[in-house]
Amino acid sequence: MTSLTLRNLKKSFGATQVIKGVDLKIADGEFVVFVGPSGCGKSTLLRMIAGLEDITEGELYIGERKVNDVQAAQRGVAMVFQSYALYPHLTVRDNMAFGLKVRKVPTGERERRVLEAAASLKLEALLDRYPRELSGGQRQRVAIGRAIVGNPQVFLFDEPLSNLDAELRVHMRSEIAALHQRLENTMIYVTHDQIEAMTLADRIVVLREGLIEQVGTPRELYESPANLFVAQFIGSPRMNVLPATAVAGRLAARGLNVRLAEGVGMRPEHISLTAPEAGLLRGRVALSEYTGAATLLHVELEEAGTALVIANGPVVPEVGQEVGLGIAREHLHVFDKAGRAIRPMEQAA
Amino acid sequence: MTLTVRQTRLISRICWTLALLIVAVPFVFPFLWMVSSGFKSATEIFGQPSLIPRVWRWQNYVDVFEYQPFARQYFNSLYIAVTVTVLTLAISSLAGYALARIRFAGAGLLMIFLLSALMVPEEVTIIPNFFLIRWMGLTDTHAPLILLPVFGSHGVMATFLMRQYFLAIPRELEEAGKMDGLSRFGIWWRIALPMSRPALAAVSIVTFLFSWNLFLEPLVFISSLEKFTLPLALSNFTDSYGLPLWHLQLAATSLAVVPILIVYLIAQRQIIESFALSGVKG
Repeated sequence: MTSLTLRNLKKSFGATQVIKGVDLKIADGEFVVFVGPSGCGKSTLLRMIAGLEDITEGELYIGERKVNDVQAAQRGVAMVFQSYALYPHLTVRDNMAFGLKVRKVPTGERERRVLEAAASLKLEALLDRYPRELSGGQRQRVAIGRAIVGNPQVFLFDEPLSNLDAELRVHMRSEIAALHQRLENTMIYVTHDQIEAMTLADRIVVLREGLIEQVGTPRELYESPANLFVAQFIGSPRMNVLPATAVAGRLAARGLNVRLAEGVGMRPEHISLTAPEAGLLRGRVALSEYTGAATLLHVELEEAGTALVIANGPVVPEVGQEVGLGIAREHLHVFDKAGRAIRPMEQAA
Repeated sequence: MTLTVRQTRLISRICWTLALLIVAVPFVFPFLWMVSSGFKSATEIFGQPSLIPRVWRWQNYVDVFEYQPFARQYFNSLYIAVTVTVLTLAISSLAGYALARIRFAGAGLLMIFLLSALMVPEEVTIIPNFFLIRWMGLTDTHAPLILLPVFGSHGVMATFLMRQYFLAIPRELEEAGKMDGLSRFGIWWRIALPMSRPALAAVSIVTFLFSWNLFLEPLVFISSLEKFTLPLALSNFTDSYGLPLWHLQLAATSLAVVPILIVYLIAQRQIIESFALSGVKG
C-alpha cells in the first residue's frame, strides 16, 4: 500500500496544455476516482501516473519516491486498460504471467501467483483459453488478474467498464469494489460515468479542462458542490439551475435572500409536486418520461425556463397539467456570478 | 414437378462447378502441356499435338542434369530465395515498425521518399546498380541477387506492408507491454511480431516468389554457369545455334515449379490473402 502526491503536475502536447497544474494527495489504500467530461485530462493524468506519458512540469511521488523519470514498469503500478489490452496471441495463463516472465520471476513462483489470482477471480477454468474465446466480462477479469499478479502498490483503472453492457457493468463494478476491500491497495479509477464514481470512490476528483474543480467524498460532492460545474456534473438527472432574478422574489417571500446570487440550483429528486398555488414555483408539465422506478417530468416554469422533476408517487400529473414545485430550504444551492457556490453563511452576509 | 431445396442446391452446385471448370481450362492447360511436353522427345513436341505423350521419355529428366549443373543451379535459387526472404522479413519488420510507431523528425518525408522507390521500374535502375555492384567487386557473385531485392523496391514494398500492419495493432497493447517491463525492442519482438503473423506470411510468400522468379538481375550480374539461378538456367537449354531445346526446357521448368507448387498446396488460403494484402498479382 502506498500514498501518492501530485505537485503542480502539468502536461503539454506541443503548444496545447492539457493538464494545467494539479495538486493532489492520495492516501494509502484510498480508492480515488477521476471524473470529468471528455477531454478534461483525466486519462492523461492517469497515464502520467502510470508512466505512459512524460510529465512536462511538476512532481509526482509514489510513496516517498519521486517517480517523474522512473520507467512505467519500475513505478510499482499496474494498469487495467479500457480495451483490456490482452495479448491476443497468448493464453489467459500466459497473459497473466507475461509481466512476471519479463521480470524474470522463477517459473514456480510465477505459476503460484497466476493460480492464486485466477482463483480469486474465478478464472481457473479459463487459463488455457485465448482472449478471443472469452466474453467481455471474462476478459475484464483477466485484465484485472494480470494487474494483480504483479503485486503492485497502486492499481490504475482507465475506464475499465465502458466496453461492457449495462448489466455486466453493474456486476463488475461490485467485483472491483470487493477487490479493493480484499486487497486494500491504493486504487485510482478513471471514468466519465458518475454512478461508477459515486458507488466506488472513497474520494472523487472532478476535473475540467486540465484543472481540479473539486475533491471530496461522493456525499460532499453531491450535497455541497463547490461550483456550478460540479453541481451539474454530479447527480443524474443533472441539477436544475434557474436564474436568481427569476426566483429571488418568491424565495425572499419565504425568508431566503439570494440577491447576491446569479443562479439557484435544485436537484430534480429534491423537488416536490404541490398544488399550483402552493408551490415555490409554478409551471406546466411539458413532457413526462416514465422509467419504471420513477417518472421524470419536464416542467415549463412561468418565468424561468424548464425544470426537471422526479415524481415518485403513484399519481403523476398529466402532460399539460399545471403544477406547483416545492423544495426544502436546505436543498437549495446558490451560486455567484463566477459559478462558485455561496454557502448559507455567505448568503446571510 | 417442383424441386426440393436440396435438389435446387445440388443443381446449382453442379452448374457452378462446371462453369468454374470451363474457366479454369485456359489457366490449367498450359501447365499440363508443359508437364506433358517435358516427357516428349524434341520431334514429338512439334509433331501431331497430343496431351498424352506417345512415348514417355524419362531420359529428359536425366539429360536436364547432364546438360548443365542443374542441381547446383536449383540449390542456388533455393538458398538465395530463402536468404532473401529471411533478410527481407527481418529488415522490413524492423523498418516498418519504426515507421509505424517511432516518432522522429522527417518520418513522413522518409516514407514518401521510400515509396517513390516503388515507382521506378527495376529496368531503369539496373545500369547504375550494375556499376555500383561492379565497383563493390560483387559481379558474378550471388550478393547482388540478395542485396537488390532486400534493399531495393521489393524491400520497400515489404516495409510498407509491414508498416501498414503495425499501424493497425492497438497502441494499448504496446503500452501494456511497457507496463510489463518490455523495452521498445521487446515490444517489437514479443508483441508486435507475434501479432503480425499474417503480414509476415504474406511478405514471406511474395518475397520467395519474387526471388525465385528473378531473371533480369541474374542475367546482368552472373556469368558463371555454376552460379546461375533457375530462371537463367532454364533459358540456357539451347542447342549450338542458340535455339531452345524445348523438351529439356519444359522438363526443367516442371522441376522448377515443384517448390512453388508445394508452397501453394500447403498455404493456398494464406497465399490468396497475401496477394490481396500486398496488392501484388501472382
